[in-house]
Amino acid sequence: MKIVIAGAGAVGTHLAQMLSKENFDIVLIDEQEERLAKLNNDLDIMTLVCSPTSIKGMKQAGIENANLFIAVTPNESENLLCCMLAKQLGAKRTVARIDNYEYLSEENKKLFENAGISSLIYPEYLAGKELAASIGYSWVRQLWEFDGDLILLSVKMHAINPLDKQQKTNAKNLLIGRTLREIGMDGHQFHVVAIKRKDETIIPSGEEKILSRDLVFFMTTRDQINNIRHLTGKDNYPQVKHVMIIGGGKLAVRTDGEIPDNYSVKIIEKDIARCEELGRITKHRTMILNGDGYDLDLLQDEGYNHIEAFAALTNNDEKNILACMAARRNGICNTYAQVENLAFIDMVESLDVGTVINKKMLAASHIYQMLLKADVNNVKMLTVADADVAEFIVKEGSKATKKPIMNIGIPNDVNIGGMIRNGRGELVSGKTQLLAGDRVVVFCGSQTLKKIERFFS
Amino acid sequence: MVNWRQIFKVLGMLLFIEAGLLLITMGVALIYKEDVMPYVWTLIITLVLGIIGRGIGWNSGKNMGRRDGYLIVSLVWLVFSLIGMIPFILTDCVPDVASAFFETMSGFTSTGATIFDNIDILPKGILFWRSVTQWIGGIGIIFFTLAILPAFGVGEVKLFAAETTGPLHEKIHPRISVAVKWIGSVYLLLTILCIASLLICGMSAFDAVNIAMTTTGTGGFSPHSAFFHDQWNSKSIEYVTTVFMFLSGVNYTLLYYTVLKGRIRKFFQNPELRMYLAIVALTTAVCTVSLMIQDNQGDLELSFRQAIFTTVSIQTTTGFASYDYTLWPQVLMPVLMFLMFAGACSGSTSGGFKCIRWAILWEGLHNEFKRILHPRVVAPVKLGGEVIPTSIQKTLLAFVSLFVGSLFLGAFILVLCGVDEDYLTIYDFSLILRQDFTEAFSLSLSSLSNVGPALGYYGPAHSWAVISPMAKVVCSILMLIGRLEIFPILIIFTKGFWRKE
Repeated sequence: MKIVIAGAGAVGTHLAQMLSKENFDIVLIDEQEERLAKLNNDLDIMTLVCSPTSIKGMKQAGIENANLFIAVTPNESENLLCCMLAKQLGAKRTVARIDNYEYLSEENKKLFENAGISSLIYPEYLAGKELAASIGYSWVRQLWEFDGDLILLSVKMHAINPLDKQQKTNAKNLLIGRTLREIGMDGHQFHVVAIKRKDETIIPSGEEKILSRDLVFFMTTRDQINNIRHLTGKDNYPQVKHVMIIGGGKLAVRTDGEIPDNYSVKIIEKDIARCEELGRITKHRTMILNGDGYDLDLLQDEGYNHIEAFAALTNNDEKNILACMAARRNGICNTYAQVENLAFIDMVESLDVGTVINKKMLAASHIYQMLLKADVNNVKMLTVADADVAEFIVKEGSKATKKPIMNIGIPNDVNIGGMIRNGRGELVSGKTQLLAGDRVVVFCGSQTLKKIERFFS
Repeated sequence: MVNWRQIFKVLGMLLFIEAGLLLITMGVALIYKEDVMPYVWTLIITLVLGIIGRGIGWNSGKNMGRRDGYLIVSLVWLVFSLIGMIPFILTDCVPDVASAFFETMSGFTSTGATIFDNIDILPKGILFWRSVTQWIGGIGIIFFTLAILPAFGVGEVKLFAAETTGPLHEKIHPRISVAVKWIGSVYLLLTILCIASLLICGMSAFDAVNIAMTTTGTGGFSPHSAFFHDQWNSKSIEYVTTVFMFLSGVNYTLLYYTVLKGRIRKFFQNPELRMYLAIVALTTAVCTVSLMIQDNQGDLELSFRQAIFTTVSIQTTTGFASYDYTLWPQVLMPVLMFLMFAGACSGSTSGGFKCIRWAILWEGLHNEFKRILHPRVVAPVKLGGEVIPTSIQKTLLAFVSLFVGSLFLGAFILVLCGVDEDYLTIYDFSLILRQDFTEAFSLSLSSLSNVGPALGYYGPAHSWAVISPMAKVVCSILMLIGRLEIFPILIIFTKGFWRKE
């Protein structure tokens, strides 16, 4: 499969890195030679120095037999234009990164398809949506929803409840120190699909013990969420009603747009002109404050001690990290930091920062999902764990339909979390027999996704 | 610098429109076999003046300055009233020139205050002329002219902007002459529907046409002195009139989108309309409850009918009365006074403060309170998702102060001019100083908001015949100031307006 990527920025580079490990033929186009030079040495890809909108350059990149053309330059109009050209020149599918929420709407979809642009990627929207989805659960690090009420969530294990150091309440973590097999005996309706311990992601077997400070990924159905909350000793975490966002960039606007109306949201932005702009485009309930997000007096005035969720979304990674650490010290357990520098992410995980949001990685994984054969309709790259979550549709006559799951020989580092049968989410055990048409949610170690595809198709 | 030749030219052209209106009125007089000579003379005067004006302005070029626009708009309302009063004088209906001027100005500004104690004895032609002035004045003289003439030649945009009410103008068509024709057709459609509905309710043809014209113009001249209830004693007529008064108080641009484009949802999402509906609903509820307890022995339908007719009539600044609301419980008088002040929607035929300004003020106040609690908050004033620019908010504050200022100054001058019903023809200063201020205040408010009837003695039961000639002129000026929303009139009296540049 041949893929042409225009724009060697963070998204483009990250994509190239991910894809080059998967035996794709990748051509990366960028105008600036120095951006490409380093990649050319590190990765098994072809690079081309030319303008992304140059027709000659596209032909040189072999656009006429490209399966996919991805335009991820910082310039929206340029992306749209080169996608239109690429389609005309023979690319089968095109993906453009955009900056405009209006373009994403369902009614405008046809418009872009007619113009030769198959899909649109809006990284801020993806990140905002994800942030907003998990913000309501203050005790959860991250939460993903699949169809049919199937839910994946990650929870940090604490032996001593950070909100209850004096042990006043009887909220206690009931999982720490036990093996997964022991926990499974209790008949709970959830799976532990992955454990992130220090820098390592474990796809656990039954003998794995849960330790304090582990980040545990649970696969469950919606009605079991409160059960997990109880087991992990998080009953006393507050209901989120008040959200404070530092930095009024696009991500803040999209996050605000996705947070339900009954929450109170405050956005603190330094630039007064941007504040006025924000007043125009944010929801009515949102309060825009002009000031520095590191001005503690201002934060205190605006109810720093009473908020349940805090998101630092400025363009400055270091400041975001510091702001979140300060917020956690102040007792806010639900914090989000935007970290753009991919090199930081592993390091940040070892600090007490809360959830890390990286929109480039989200965008890259979103594009990645388009590459895996059309049967996969959802691939999530977890920013905190070096693992993929994928959704497969089980095909008629595939290996998985012939034997129960424990007998089909799925590798050890792969964990089937659950499945969606007839629109209803169900958990899967080793004895479950998959049927054609089931959609399976799979948790697997990094870069092994392609290997397990064959079990289902 | 003011271009007088241009002004004469446009005024001359506009006079031909008035001549056309007089011609129609003459036709009505002919049908009813009345003396047509007063109209013939007026017509001749109008045409001669029109030709003179056009002659002076011959070859005046295609340029119209901002100053010329404001001056033309202010002058045209004055000139129309001065000429429009001639039929009243020539038919010998009025005691003095001031009364005739008052009646005509009250017509063109769609106020509806009258100096006739007994309207029923007036010639049909005069009755029709009063209604015509309100129908034209309601939508605006310039507006009307733009709607029927193919093109004006010069400065349409400037003239139109100076005459249109409300702080925000939404364009429905890139060309103003086309936009005006569409909105004009909505106005015409509304009038025709009103005539038809009134006819179905059993009103005579002449009454139906007159009432329809003064309803859609939110004027309030009636061809009969009696209250609606006493004259027709028909519930359906009262309800139909209420509905059409209400519709005439809606922004015509919004009506255009709703009626001709079928955007029903946009209608109810409009923040100004919501404010309008809220005020009508709230005041009607208050009045209904008070009337049910106090006056009507628990008769809900009667109380509701009285309440909604009166509140809508006063808020849209029409000024019809189905019953004498001055006899209502005194607790309702502040409510009615607020309604007089409030007005209906901008871009409609109604006068007063207009709901869009209330909506902006409401949002602005909300933000001010927020700012006290959160000093660093940046909260733009939003209306229906759109941000109201600061410049418009400032203009609004200026408008508020000018409106209130004019109100009090008007009341003060009216007291000095003598407005008490005991006032005799002899000007006695010691008598003036002893008279009641409240009458003058309500007259000033009613004139400035273009309502018509006031409170107290000058409520719907009495005409304004007894106020002094001087007071009639002052009221007329207040009406004009109110109709043109203050700025176009007052700008003429600023120094900068006449400075050579």
